[in-house]
Amino acid sequence: MQIDTLAVRLRPRSPLEAADLGVRLCQDAARSVYPCFAAVALPVFLLAMASVEIAQWLPTVVVWWLKPWLDRTILFVLSRAAFGQPTTLAQLWRAQGEVWWRRLWLSLSVRRLSAWRSLTDPVYQLEGLSLGLTAARVRQIRHRHVWSAMLMTQTFMLTEAALLVSLLSLLFWLAPAGQTPSVDMLLGGQSPWLAIHGIPIAYMAAVFFVEPFFVAAGFAMYLNRRAELEAWDIEQEFRRAFPR
Amino acid sequence: MRPAGLNPRLYAFLLDWVVRLAVIYGVAVVAEFLGGLGTAVWLILIFLLEWFYPVAFELLPSGATPGKRVFGLKVVMDNGLPVTVAASVTRNLLRFADFLPFMYGFAIVTMLTRRDCKRLGDVAAATLVVHDSRATGRPPLQDVAPLPPVRPLTPSTQAALVALAVRAPRLTAERLDELAAMAAAVSNDAGRSGRDVTLRVLGVGHWILGRRP
Repeated sequence: MQIDTLAVRLRPRSPLEAADLGVRLCQDAARSVYPCFAAVALPVFLLAMASVEIAQWLPTVVVWWLKPWLDRTILFVLSRAAFGQPTTLAQLWRAQGEVWWRRLWLSLSVRRLSAWRSLTDPVYQLEGLSLGLTAARVRQIRHRHVWSAMLMTQTFMLTEAALLVSLLSLLFWLAPAGQTPSVDMLLGGQSPWLAIHGIPIAYMAAVFFVEPFFVAAGFAMYLNRRAELEAWDIEQEFRRAFPR
Repeated sequence: MRPAGLNPRLYAFLLDWVVRLAVIYGVAVVAEFLGGLGTAVWLILIFLLEWFYPVAFELLPSGATPGKRVFGLKVVMDNGLPVTVAASVTRNLLRFADFLPFMYGFAIVTMLTRRDCKRLGDVAAATLVVHDSRATGRPPLQDVAPLPPVRPLTPSTQAALVALAVRAPRLTAERLDELAAMAAAVSNDAGRSGRDVTLRVLGVGHWILGRRP
């Protein structure tokens, strides 16, 4: 790891403050993050919407289930942005083996329900360890960070839910005068528009906006934890003050 | 100043909400025995808590509601000065605007997209929610002989040397030697490394902390 090329100025931070740093990292890298994320997310969203033919609730569940796969692209872009490198779609395509397919079955099965997913994903995706070593490494990274990582995950779950409700409320705000739809009409009746289209579309829009921030917050917590374990902040200052 | 983002602010908000709810329920139990007057007082209390609970606490010297204090946050003006009455009232009345279109949609979007993590109320009132830097307790130091630095050091380098001395027990021996070797110039050991060099570099950190042989 080339600490001196890191684009992030390190200092000891509390885990939740590190999560704020992640939000900043995502803002700065937005020009790389959102195009790459759109390239993987939009096909998944379209496919998920098609599954409404099987069951009304399926599109939402499909998107929710595939989130770890979507997160991999975001984390790839962010891990390069942390060193000041932008990412293009071509670079993402060339790295697909490592980013998209490596141990995907684990991400979508046993690791799917992890309550601190975005903190430990960098270990799985970026450190490239064997399965045996990975378990010990993850224990080391999340040591005394489980509680804050769970709070952070919960923040973005609540944020997503709030944005979902917020977007759906626009239906009532923007409806023409005298034609305000009733909730019963949208959920039941002849054509439950809200259940079939409204909720999945609003959910996907919320996921699209929030997911990069969630991954970035976890990635920054991971960087912060490594900086703490290996005193990266001190190395940054020493390399600046005592050039070879 | 270190602007505080969505994560700590959400939990500070939820904690304050729980405190308000507890007070409202507590008073409701008493008000039930007082009949109409009790209900009137109770309704006024709900109004006051909803709008002026944050104002009252933000104007205290700590500049923070109980929830913010638990998460180490405080409210300040953009220039770092204590928050004024007008600004505190503005940012808290405009929480109504942040609540729109529903469930704090605007607050979430502005806090995630603005570099200073402000919600609309903060923008209007020119206030900022920051992480409050508090001095931590005196950390235990290892027993190392203090040593004066052989060259002048900038404040940030001094801080890094002190940090190394304080955090030395929590680093692996190999990593500690590696870091000390980078700064070996401070004890005239440039180019050398090893346990002795490490002890001398740590000694410089102890010297900067004010310890003398």
